[in-house]
Amino acid sequence: MKLLSAALLVLAAAAAVVATFLPFSELLIRLAPDQPQTAYVTTGWSTHFGSTNDEHGPLFGIPAVAAAVATLVGIRWRKVAFAGAAALAGVTGMLFVYLLNAISFHKAGNITIDPALEAGFGNGIWVLIAATILAFGAVVVHPDD
Amino acid sequence: MIGRPTAVALIAAGVVLTATALILPWYSTAYAPNVEVIVRAWGTEVVNKPGDWPAGELSPWYGLPIAATAALLVAGIWVSRAALAGAAAQLGAVGITTALTISERGHAVEQQGDFAIGFGLVFLAAGTLVALTGAVAVQREPK
Repeated sequence: MKLLSAALLVLAAAAAVVATFLPFSELLIRLAPDQPQTAYVTTGWSTHFGSTNDEHGPLFGIPAVAAAVATLVGIRWRKVAFAGAAALAGVTGMLFVYLLNAISFHKAGNITIDPALEAGFGNGIWVLIAATILAFGAVVVHPDD
Repeated sequence: MIGRPTAVALIAAGVVLTATALILPWYSTAYAPNVEVIVRAWGTEVVNKPGDWPAGELSPWYGLPIAATAALLVAGIWVSRAALAGAAAQLGAVGITTALTISERGHAVEQQGDFAIGFGLVFLAAGTLVALTGAVAVQREPK
């Protein structure tokens, strides 16, 4: 059980870190009918509109990686693993609430520019949710108590 | 060792501070002339919104995850495990809020806005740290 719990915690931490490099939200928009689509993508480390980088983009990756580190330390102590999993849940929950609104704002604010625009969650948020579930799973099978 | 009553008192103080944070403004940006964007836990309010601003509002319910973690902290007054879950989750959520606030400040300053941190965010940070201190301490105290 010790090995299973450690493996799950490593997997959860790795998934959380990988998630920060994947898109959290994506908006595809055609600014003029004859132009190609421009992508507006937010990850844990950058926000891009096409090739333009938003230099004030939020660094969501920092709290996510911090929670992942706590989860890793949890291999040694069950309570730390539990706190790490809870921190991942907090990061994911707050990020989800922000993204949900940002995506609907993208849609509402730009639908007149391009009625065929696409706006939605990127894979990063699903991987982050999966990491949270894995971390709680690891806590359940963690033998140290 | 600070004793179980002190640890529980810290968790309770964290709950009160967090509850206050759910009411007070988190941050605001003033733009000339008389335009102000105020962000609270339950949405964004734009005072004297100019006509050329986008129709939609970037107005997330940041209060939702915080209300959930605060509820865990309340349960944590009796169940020490819930206190740890609530405090750690709230710390994670505050981490995301901090990243967002720094980003928003950057955008505001870039557009000549006058950015100010509100008491809500100060109380949220204080409440989270106080609750975390209590939650960690209560794990070490015998019942």
